[in-house]
Amino acid sequence: MRGQGPHRPGAAGAILAAAALAAALAVPALAGTYYVRVITGIFMFGLLASGWNLIGGYTGYPDFGAAAFIGIGAYTTGILMLHAHLAFAPALAAGGLLSIAAATAMGSVLLRLRGHYFAIASLGFMIVLQQLAANLEITGGGSGMNLPVARNFTTFYYWTLAALTLAVAAGYVLPRSRAGYAIAAIRENQDAAQVLGIAPLPYKILAYAASAFFFGIAGGIYAYWFTFVDPPTVFNVDFTIQAIVMTLFGGPGTALGPLAGAVVLKSLDVLLTNISVFLHNVFFGALVCLLVIFAPRGLAEIVRARGGLIEAIRADLRESRI
Amino acid sequence: MALLEGRGLTKLFGRLVAVDHVDLTVEPGEIVGLIGPNGAGKTTLVNLITGLEAPTDGAVTFDGHPLRGRQPPAIARLGLARTFQIAQPFRTMTVRQNVAVPALFRGDPAPGVAAALREADAVLEIVGLGPKRDLPARALTTPDLRRLELAKALALRPRLMLLDEVMAGLTPTEVDAAMEMLRRINARGIALVVIEHVLRAVMGLSHRVVVLHHGRKIAEGAPAQVTAAPEVIRAYLGADQDAGPGSAPP
Amino acid sequence: MSAAAQIALQNAVNGLLIGGTYATVAVGFSLVWGTLNVVNIAHGALVMLGAYVTYWLFSLYHIDPLLALPLTGAALFALGYPLQRFVINQVIRASFLITFLLTFGLDLLITNLALAAWTADIRSVTTSYSGWSLAAGPLALPVVRIAGLGIAVLAAGLLHLLMTRSRLGGAIRATASDLEAARLMGIPTAHVYALTFAIAAATAGIAGGLISLSFPIYPAMGAGYTLIAFVVCVLGGLGSVPGALAGGLILGLLQTYAAWWLGPNFDNIVAFSVLILVLLVRPAGLFGRARRFRG
Repeated sequence: MRGQGPHRPGAAGAILAAAALAAALAVPALAGTYYVRVITGIFMFGLLASGWNLIGGYTGYPDFGAAAFIGIGAYTTGILMLHAHLAFAPALAAGGLLSIAAATAMGSVLLRLRGHYFAIASLGFMIVLQQLAANLEITGGGSGMNLPVARNFTTFYYWTLAALTLAVAAGYVLPRSRAGYAIAAIRENQDAAQVLGIAPLPYKILAYAASAFFFGIAGGIYAYWFTFVDPPTVFNVDFTIQAIVMTLFGGPGTALGPLAGAVVLKSLDVLLTNISVFLHNVFFGALVCLLVIFAPRGLAEIVRARGGLIEAIRADLRESRI
Repeated sequence: MALLEGRGLTKLFGRLVAVDHVDLTVEPGEIVGLIGPNGAGKTTLVNLITGLEAPTDGAVTFDGHPLRGRQPPAIARLGLARTFQIAQPFRTMTVRQNVAVPALFRGDPAPGVAAALREADAVLEIVGLGPKRDLPARALTTPDLRRLELAKALALRPRLMLLDEVMAGLTPTEVDAAMEMLRRINARGIALVVIEHVLRAVMGLSHRVVVLHHGRKIAEGAPAQVTAAPEVIRAYLGADQDAGPGSAPP
Repeated sequence: MSAAAQIALQNAVNGLLIGGTYATVAVGFSLVWGTLNVVNIAHGALVMLGAYVTYWLFSLYHIDPLLALPLTGAALFALGYPLQRFVINQVIRASFLITFLLTFGLDLLITNLALAAWTADIRSVTTSYSGWSLAAGPLALPVVRIAGLGIAVLAAGLLHLLMTRSRLGGAIRATASDLEAARLMGIPTAHVYALTFAIAAATAGIAGGLISLSFPIYPAMGAGYTLIAFVVCVLGGLGSVPGALAGGLILGLLQTYAAWWLGPNFDNIVAFSVLILVLLVRPAGLFGRARRFRG
């Protein structure tokens, strides 16, 4: 992963960010419902990608089971709204908090594993939760559950935007903080980090819990937005893969990279869906393969390479192929 | 009271005896040279002391604190620093950020990020890496990487540094510069254990030399004495050869 | 024999028999992981393809599934070779995340192409002997499961012989232990990698063929088998063929007893819990060597 540590964007960057945020706030008033939905979807994936980046990009722990927390958030929000008659906001918050708790508990076990083992163990965790959800009554079992219908769609737009802003901010603040230095050290060389006074597990759990929080919030919003939740829909590895690919493509270990990746790839996905709903997953699978082979360093590579794009791709391939 | 006291340290890997009941003492402010042929167990001994490996037997105390069972981060925070034989920088972070890490996590007192970065700058001046502070660590040459390792160890504000072959592959001029730097570090009251094959450096720096061979301590004493001892020469060069003291082993 | 003992023994038999199929599912996955250092997420999809090939051979040409196994294996071998040679080989020296993502992308691609081609309708293969059971005293031994176990042992044995006695096996192991050295010695490493993957794909296909006799066939069926393969590898150790056999049998036993005790919908939960336990206690598995990943 490239990068020489966090950049200081300075005043220009701050103004740009504020302008972008202002524009985003104005969108529902200016655009039609179709576009608001599409943009909400893009924000949703931006949220997932930015959240994933905290554990996968900054900490270097490829979490393939992140959708576990989407499910936890979705079901918590759903159960509290449906059975405890809570309003959306507290139910959503509870989903986020429960995700943090679950991540802390699970992380203290899973984060001792490395590499392949962590990746698949985390995936296994998601698969197990999926099966649990299908077996419990309170979740509606395999038939799923229906949430109360929201009155106004723009609610979701603003909730997603708020969560996304928070996630991007976390991605900005983390690497500049003390915990962020520990996390970077752990990512680069865990053994060296240890002899320099860093006890790795608490910091890994911090990153994992933070990313779980954002996935949980995304899950809660998703549940209320689509009003129907069932195990295979929310405990779905596709969410995770898309988050990973978007992060990788946009630049892992940067605050805006995952969002950029989400914007580009999700827009492409929407275009593809308009061409053929049936085949859009096939296209996405092919896209993932192509991206991974030809642009493993992502958007940053393409933007920087310009005229030397072919050569840059060739150089990457030379390093990675036999 | 000795600063570091290891008694009977032993490490077995299956049936291979890597470290065989070694006693090692280091007084505050001392420089102890640790020499021996390749495979003698020097690095393993350091791993035992710093907690990266658990000893099969034996005990070690640092500054009165028993180290057995403690994790490496806790041991580092007690004031025991080490460098690795193959430098272990945080490759994508800048030189400055690399050194800020131990400054941030050495425990009490732990500065904030800005203060740690300033401290890193100061330490980098000591090792002569000041001008390169904003380069990514992966851009450094090998001698500079060694200096970075030293800087990171220094940023822990240790009382004892275990240095694993910091001079390997350096030219004679570079060795002189390194020796000078180590003397300056020692002058600040930091005890050093110097694992080296460059005998000139060991002789020039050490107050005392310890020799390991096949995991056992075979000699200990003043540098000139130890390097002249027949069993030491035999260990380095094989039983059927004879060579004078001070020659660098293969 | 008391009723309780009989049930326990029947469960043991069931567990071992299904464990044989698990072993066949896992052995290719273990081979690829142990020698190419690639965790093939699309492995389950290859199993799925094997099941479908068997299904179409059976329903279109009335070829018996067990007799079709060599054909199924050959078909998946033919798919696996170019897949490795021209696709996976492009990134094989890159970081673990990259290869992981690539196999994930391939899994998506294969699974969704299957979905597009054959719909999500559940198929099954029912032969004249599908319901037959041999009686051994009070125990019932389903014939298809016995075949599964028998073929598992046979496949494991052949693969083991291949790896330890043949020139190809030597080349594979040399390439696995040091890619650069193998290349310098003149071993055509790209080809060796492709052959290894093709062999693994063939075993996956054969496993799919066996599975088609007892389990439902549908495009998304692969994921569960990938997880099984992973757990078996963790149990039995990477790159070890006897380990895959032992791991499969153990997992089969554990799942069968758990299903009896907790109910049939808990198989993934059991698999995962076993996985975590083993990873924490003995990460090298029962027969494997410890492999340190740098995370």
